[in-house]
Amino acid sequence: MDKILRIDMGAEGGPKATTVPTGEYSGLGGRALTSAIVSKEIPPACHPLSAENKLIIAPGLLSGTTSAMSGRISVGSKSPLTGGIKESNAGGQPSQVLARLGYAAIVLEGKPKGDDIYKIFINKDGITITPDNSLKMLGNYSVVEKMKAEHGHKIACISVGQAGEMRLLAASIAFTDTELRPTRHAGRGGTGAVMGSKGVKIIVLDDTGTTMRQPKDPNKFKEANKKWIAGLQSHGVTGQALPTYGTNVLTNIINEAGGYPTYNFKEGRFAGAVKISGEVEADLETKRGGLATHGCHRGCVIRCSGIYNDKDGHYLTKQPEYETVWAHGGECGIDDMDTIAMLDFLEDDIGLDTIETGVTIGVTMEAGLLKFGDGEGAINLVREIGKGSPLGRIIGSGAAVTGKVFGVERVPVVKGQALPAYDPRAVQGIGVTYATSPMGADHTAGYAVATNILGVGGTVDPLKPGGQVQLSRNLQIATAFIDSMGMCIFTAFAILDQPETFQALLDLVNACHGLEMTAADTVEYGKRVLKMERDFNARAGFTKEQDRLPSFFRSQPVGPHNVTFEVNDEELDQVFNW
Amino acid sequence: MKNHDNPHEEETPSGVPSSNSFGFTGNASVNLIISGKQSMLSGFQELLQAGFVLICRVGVSIKSLLCDQFGLNPQFVEDRINTIFLDGKPVDNIDTTTVMDGATIALSGAMPGLVGATLRRKSPLASFRQTISSSSTPLKGSVAKGVVRIKIFNILMDELGPLFLGRGLFLSSDALRSFLQKQPTEFWDGCAKILVNNAPEYPPAFREKILAALKIEDAWVHLIVHGES
Ligand code: SF4
Repeated sequence: MDKILRIDMGAEGGPKATTVPTGEYSGLGGRALTSAIVSKEIPPACHPLSAENKLIIAPGLLSGTTSAMSGRISVGSKSPLTGGIKESNAGGQPSQVLARLGYAAIVLEGKPKGDDIYKIFINKDGITITPDNSLKMLGNYSVVEKMKAEHGHKIACISVGQAGEMRLLAASIAFTDTELRPTRHAGRGGTGAVMGSKGVKIIVLDDTGTTMRQPKDPNKFKEANKKWIAGLQSHGVTGQALPTYGTNVLTNIINEAGGYPTYNFKEGRFAGAVKISGEVEADLETKRGGLATHGCHRGCVIRCSGIYNDKDGHYLTKQPEYETVWAHGGECGIDDMDTIAMLDFLEDDIGLDTIETGVTIGVTMEAGLLKFGDGEGAINLVREIGKGSPLGRIIGSGAAVTGKVFGVERVPVVKGQALPAYDPRAVQGIGVTYATSPMGADHTAGYAVATNILGVGGTVDPLKPGGQVQLSRNLQIATAFIDSMGMCIFTAFAILDQPETFQALLDLVNACHGLEMTAADTVEYGKRVLKMERDFNARAGFTKEQDRLPSFFRSQPVGPHNVTFEVNDEELDQVFNW
Repeated sequence: MKNHDNPHEEETPSGVPSSNSFGFTGNASVNLIISGKQSMLSGFQELLQAGFVLICRVGVSIKSLLCDQFGLNPQFVEDRINTIFLDGKPVDNIDTTTVMDGATIALSGAMPGLVGATLRRKSPLASFRQTISSSSTPLKGSVAKGVVRIKIFNILMDELGPLFLGRGLFLSSDALRSFLQKQPTEFWDGCAKILVNNAPEYPPAFREKILAALKIEDAWVHLIVHGES
């Protein structure tokens, strides 16, 4: 991982690949690397779909090693959806494969002159870039099938569906899973539109003939990995709840807490939640011969995913996760798992962010285009996106655009990006993160890492009012670190409760790279990433006025607790005052 | 609606206050006992998630309800029931939070995600949800007979489900009917013995007989389910 592959899609005479040393970016991985390149190399005022924008795809610092859980991959660019910096990450196989091929990142630059679309093939012998217009407007599943026919089954793919080609703001980038299906998506922020604007349909990776990345200190690394795995497996969340039910296990408890946004954030509880809970979903998967426990990449020991079969026992989609189930469930008033699974499949195929798309459908329901609960109508709307009809293009441009087109006041977005599955009026601390994250409303930007263990900014009294600002800051710092390692964010729960598991993570990083990193260094690492990201946004024209939730969260109370968002603007402005 | 201050007010013949929010007077119109394969018990998980009603002593702490009345081991409560809601509000201190008549208590294991961690008992992230947290309520009035709705989620369903189903619980006839109506053949195949109002029923008429007994609108059913290994 000491080289970066730069592909100039707009080079004279056709796309040109150059491999360069990591140089000033050495020691950075995942989000730290994508944000460093975005921040340094992309003109902040550029149009996100212009030749000046770049798309960076970077495995984490531990990817490609035998370390468990290290297969997340980061995608960075200037976001067409938010207009600011974006890091969106995904699971799947490509992170490990790209790292084993020795690349710290692929950077797509420039823009082709014509309207050809390209496939890029990378293996140990080099890079081939070929125009292939037979791939035009294919869904992710079909394009991956074609690549399998051409290159066999030992590949991993990164692709865009029709939404990316059409450069829609909700377009995602798909990463193939262990079954070589395009089910893992860097969903947030419209990075698929940037890949589409570069004319790249698919990147095929083949690591045949390569070996695992070797740590600098193999013995220490092996020992730390053992402790890391033991810590994850012994914890109640990572060892039991997530493997048994997947992330959708959250539906029941968020609904019980009155924080489950329902009918486009009008209510905090959904009467149909029990029909689409993770418990029901896992039971259905098992009964239909699917899988309720499954990893999205090799080396995952938590395995929060699964395989969802239809009524006849045939593969329909991967296990829809909590955010997806909510975005089409409570948000749209749909209480049928099969409808939600079909929407998940379609959005994976067309290449759409399931959160953005679900919330957008909710906004159209609020506008009266469909009735809340109309599952068939929702499926038809998503199909419209795939077809590229005028209505489909509006929906595929996300909640903010759709809200404007249909004259809707209650549009749940921050920095143009749809809010995820937790109502910030009920759980106000997450509202602080939604409002202030440089990424736009993002639930993963403040994950449950042991802030008190890390000691970022001192110990926080959990019951003290106002503590949520400090906590949000600490969580955002810690998450920036985890995202840079390529570690799945779900490891955070074990770290939260078990200091020895956090130490094992540090030991892994140190043994892999020959470092002496301490907890304090991880804080500095996280801060550095956030600083770069905020600096980019400031240069792109963002001010503190964008660090706000939509005003309806302050004016419209949500039941059953009848609460509004109460953290004031002055407090929000303190989040990055460290 | 809820009679939190004086649980003795307007008692029904069963001793349960008449004003609880479920409209349950403590008397069931239908008594149903189902025995079958142990594996059949997991079929009832949807009902555990939606919630069932129990008659118990109220005006006590959550801990006392769970340990003294339901007989749960205090260590189990400490280690496994990591997330508790009282009337939708996350609870931190089960020793000082009082259960009143008509309350809904939801029990869950430790949950993932930032919000999952936030909702946990004594979470270091508790300030994130301070506006909806259940505040400690000093014991008010005296201990009396009352009703509570219990919901059981996720990993606790396997651990607590058989206990509550085996001891018996109350459900509305509507909820039980719509649940049983959609059960597949395998569910009924797993039933070995069924008593409807103490009268034995025999396969293959289980489904038909039970659904006929549950036809009464707005009634309450006392359900006991035994799993036999
Ligand atoms: S825990 Fe889930 S999201 Fe994380 S790596 Fe494993 S399967 Fe993928």
